[in-house]
This record gives sequence, C-alpha cells and structure tokens, in this order.
Amino acid sequence: MTKPRPDELAAGGADRDKRRRNLDRRTYWGLLLPGLLGLLVGYVLPLLWILRMAFNKGGPDGLVISAFSGDSLRKPLTDSYYLKVTVTTFRMGLLVAVLCVLASYPIALFLARSTSKWKGLLTALAIAPLLTSSVARSYGWIVILGSNGLVNSSLLGLGVISTPLKLTNNMTGVVIGLVEIFMPYAILVMISGFGQLNPQLEQAAASLGANAVKVFTRITLRLSMPGVLTAFLLVFVLSISTFVTPRLLGGGSVRVLATEIYDQANVLINWPLAAALSVIVFALFGIVISGYQRLIRKVEGIDR
Amino acid sequence: MTITQATSQVTAAKLSLSGLTKQYAAADEPAVNRLDMDVEEGHLVALLGPSGCGKTTTLQMVAGLLDPTAGSISVDGNDITHTPVHQRGMGMVFQSYALFPHMNVAQNVGFGLEMRKVAKPEQKARVAAALEMVQLGHLATRRVKALSGGQQQRIALARALVVEPTLLLLDEPLSNLDAKLRVSMRTEIRSIQQRLKATTLFVTHDQDEALDMSDRIAVMNKGLIEQFGSPAEVYERPRTSFVATFVGRANLFETIVGEDVGSAGGDERLYRVGVKGQDGFGAVGRPGLTGSTRTLLVRPHRLRVELAPDEPLPGAGRLAGVIRELGYTGNALSFGVEIGGTIVRAEMHASGAPIPRKGETAHLSWQPDDALILPEEVR
Repeated sequence: MTKPRPDELAAGGADRDKRRRNLDRRTYWGLLLPGLLGLLVGYVLPLLWILRMAFNKGGPDGLVISAFSGDSLRKPLTDSYYLKVTVTTFRMGLLVAVLCVLASYPIALFLARSTSKWKGLLTALAIAPLLTSSVARSYGWIVILGSNGLVNSSLLGLGVISTPLKLTNNMTGVVIGLVEIFMPYAILVMISGFGQLNPQLEQAAASLGANAVKVFTRITLRLSMPGVLTAFLLVFVLSISTFVTPRLLGGGSVRVLATEIYDQANVLINWPLAAALSVIVFALFGIVISGYQRLIRKVEGIDR
Repeated sequence: MTITQATSQVTAAKLSLSGLTKQYAAADEPAVNRLDMDVEEGHLVALLGPSGCGKTTTLQMVAGLLDPTAGSISVDGNDITHTPVHQRGMGMVFQSYALFPHMNVAQNVGFGLEMRKVAKPEQKARVAAALEMVQLGHLATRRVKALSGGQQQRIALARALVVEPTLLLLDEPLSNLDAKLRVSMRTEIRSIQQRLKATTLFVTHDQDEALDMSDRIAVMNKGLIEQFGSPAEVYERPRTSFVATFVGRANLFETIVGEDVGSAGGDERLYRVGVKGQDGFGAVGRPGLTGSTRTLLVRPHRLRVELAPDEPLPGAGRLAGVIRELGYTGNALSFGVEIGGTIVRAEMHASGAPIPRKGETAHLSWQPDDALILPEEVR
C-alpha cells in the first residue's frame, strides 16, 4: 500500500472543502428561496407597480392614462398644498416619535431593570393595548378628549378652564392618540435595545464618584441610545404611514400624506397621484432611515 | 519615578464593620448576620466562602451599593454607613470588570478623575501613570471591548486605583480569567496593593487565591464569619469543620478525646485519640478537651501511606483500608482509601517507587502534631 503524498492529500482536502462549500451554498439558497419569493411577490412587485403608476396621468372619473410623464410626481413637490401636507406629515412624525419615546423610556427602563416576579405580567400589560385595534383606541380618545369628554368636563368642573379645550379634530388630538397607540411598540423595541445596559456599569460609575444625574446622562442614557433611536425610527415610520388615527381624531381637518393618499385612491380616484404621494412617503422613510443609520453607527461605535 | 509619584498618595485607611446585618425581605435568614470585623491599614483581607455565604453582600454594603439593615461601617473612625456610594471615595473592581463600553481605555480610567473635576493636564498625567502601573500604557486609545480578559481586568484595577481610593474593593476579580492568567494576576494585584499600601477587601470563593494573596482571611458561611485570621492560622488551626473543609482538603473523624499526655508547645496539649475503633493515635488541641466528643482533622498530605508496613509498634495506631481511588500527576500520588465504609484521602510525593494499584491494601498513620482536634463541639 502506498501512502498518499501530502500534496495529494491537500488537493483532496481542498476539493472536499469546495464541494462542501457548494453544498452549503445550495442549502442556503434553498432555505432562502420561499422567503425571497414571498418578498418578491408581496413587496417588490407591488412597489414597482406603484412606482410605475406614479408616472401615469390621472384622468377624470378615475381614469388612469397610461403615460410616462413626471406630472403626477411633480405635483406634490411643487404644489404648495401638497408641500404643506408633506411638511405637516414630517413634523407630526417627529413630534409623535419624540413624545412617544419620552413617555415610553421610563416604562421600558423600569421593565428592563425589574427583577420582580410580576415583570412578565407588567410587560404584558404594557403591550396589552396592541390587542385592541387602533380604530377602537382612536374612538376611545375621541370620547376622552372631546368637548364633553373626560378631560374637558373634569377641567371645567374644577374651574381650571371656562371654555372646553379643543383637543379633537385637530393635530393635538392626533398627536395624543398616536403617542399612546405607538407606545407599546416603542416600549418593546427599547426593552430589547437595552442590551448593553448592565446595572454594574452604573454601580461602577457611582463608585467612581458620579452622582445620580451623572450616572444617568453619562452611562444609562448613553448606553440606551441604540434602543431609543430604533424606537424613534419605528414610531416615526408608523406615524407618517398611519391613516386611521389622523382621520378619526383629526376629523378631516388634519391633512397628512396618509389621509391624502386615501382620499386620492378611494374618494377622488386619482391613482397616479396616490402612487406619487406614496413615493414621497417612501422618500421620507429613506431620509429618516439614512439619518438613523448614521447615528446608530456613531452610538454603537462601541464595538468597533 | 512617575508611577509612584502619581499614586503614592493612597492613604491607608482602617475599615471597621460592627454588627453589620443585611436581611432581605423575602429571606428567612439574614444574608449577613451581625458581622464584626476590623481591617487594618494597608492589609488585604479576603472574604472567603461558598456562594450565598454573604461575602458579596458584605462588600456591596461597604461600597455603599446596598443599605445595611443594621450595624455600622466606619473608615478611620468616621461612620459612613449612610454615605451615598459616590461620596465614599472607594475604588471597586467588579467581577465583570464593568468597563464602560462606549469609552476607550483612557476615558475609562479617567472617569473617576473627571467626576472629581481634576484639572485636565493632571487627569492626563495620572491616567498615564495608572496605565503604566498595570503595563498597558500602549493601549490608552483602544476600545475596551477589543481587549482580552486579563487586559480588561488590569484596566478595571487602574480605574479603581487612579482616584486614590481610601479603600480598594475587589469582587471576585479573577474568576473570569483562565487558570494560568489567574495565578499571574494574583501576584500582580498583590504586589501593586502592597506597593500602594492600599487597604483592600477582596471577595473570593477560591481558597488558593485567599491563602496566596491575603494578610487576613475571613471565612464566611451562612452570613457569619466562621473564622478570621492569617492564612496560616486558618489553614493550620481551623476552628470549625466548615473552615477545615472549605480551606484546603481535609479528612475529618469523630473522636472521643483521650488522655492529655503533655504540652504540644504554646497553649496546646497533646492528647491520645481513638479513630474508627482503633486506639493509639495522637493529636494536638487546646487544653481541657479530655473526655469530650470532637472532630479530628488530618490533612491528606500529612497522612503516611504504607503498602507493606513493618510490624506495628505496640500502641501506635494505624488504619488499614483498600485503595479505591488513585490519582497520579507525575510529582504526586493521591489515594482514596476505604476505611470502615468511608473514603479517607491521602496524598504523597511520588518517589519513583512502583505505583500502587486499586484494590491493594494501604496502611495509614500520622504523627501526633499532624492531627488537630477542632475546638468546635460536636452536637
């Protein structure tokens, strides 16, 4: 029996490695395929279709005039009305995201920290509002915030105000409603984003002479930034794309891109314009997500 | 030398714990039960015990991270029981090192100085000196996550020492290191601690660490200090069977102490004792033990193992048993010899003679001063 020479062995080894790598690659693609197909059919194709639709022209009576013009897309970018709607949407998204993160942060921090046996129950309670649809919750807020609602009747009864505050059918109501509706998402995202927060780091900072404020600003807040930013992004994206709450709590007077798209698609039946507005929303997402990417890279510079 | 200049102002402080107690609401027994202890200036004291013995709880109370239920803590006579942690001026090294992941090495080490509002140039000099002390000056601008366990541990030590703490607190600082590094870090921490004369409280469950590094060891069990003494005292003269078995390996036999046959040096007396129904053994113990039931301690390496012994001298005790376990590590042999249903452990240097086999009969004996009668009463 002759022994195989070392170089033969090596060649055989390399061959085997190559075969294994090919097999691995085939397995990966095989596993990815169903998901990719789903994404292609359910996401990429409709998106391309919307993009194509945005280049069509809207005719009278909901007619879609097949064309390749920039008219529909140009309209929301040049028309002062649509520009205002876009700016309102953006500002509403920012405001809701900021307030929602501020309101959710203490709750998320508490839940992430808690070692109580009730932690599971408390977490479930915090996200339980998700069990109710946002339609029902928006109506709930109308009941609470309306001119004869809980807030106004209490304040009137206490003599704090003499005329009811206008809390519905305007942006105030929409923001209040959206903040509450998106809090469960923000809380969930922040809890999972607080991974780097180790109480020992705060103890270490305190032992080195940092008082409570310094511990919070230099350690706790700084290390929870990834969770905060992700929650901010999520709430922003959800609020600029949501339609129900601005429509119900805004009572028709709050005009944002989502309600505008709904009107164009379902009421005025101008699909090319609805598609063009959707593209604008998409672009807003893009802007915010790229800002998020840049920031998150900075705060997570931690591992690099 | 800049190193000693920048860090020589560590003023050795004396720590006193008095009646220190921590009772958790959910627990029946206190986690720490009326602890009294004095740590002398410049001493390194190990709190040694199994998990749940209260050693970490004690350290956290000293650090100010936990509020004691009762009792007091004082440093140099000043009561600090209710001083908030950030005003205690202690340096602490955590088990996980607790380095700030968003800061680089120098920022980590400088954090305490920054909190104390030390001027920037001085901060820089002291951080550099502290890093030099742990031989990591070249890593100042690195991210801490990129460092090895041993390096992180040194950074944590430098960060705790750079603020010139009144007291250095170490919470199992070596337990996350691999075995080799652990031994070298032991020596390094000890030599830095001795050079700075920093009064240090050190929590560990590793008896070797405690014996090797400490000036005094407090052996803790169930919230109480079972024994407080020098490493040699704790090892050679344990007061309870818990201390005897936790610090070092031990064979314990129950015995009724026989006749007092004379002085064994110091305050100790030499007694005759019987073990496992055999007479003719000797042991040392404190005076006045004759007639009482006590625990007898014989360390495995103090036992003499013979395979084919000479005829026994009349009255000289010897236990015979079957070798059930055998360990050979090149330089040493360890035996588990079954005598009267229990395994007695013995160790000896490997002499190059043929290695015994399992199943052979071994004869065990000891010199009187190799056996200790524990002062603790057997209930």
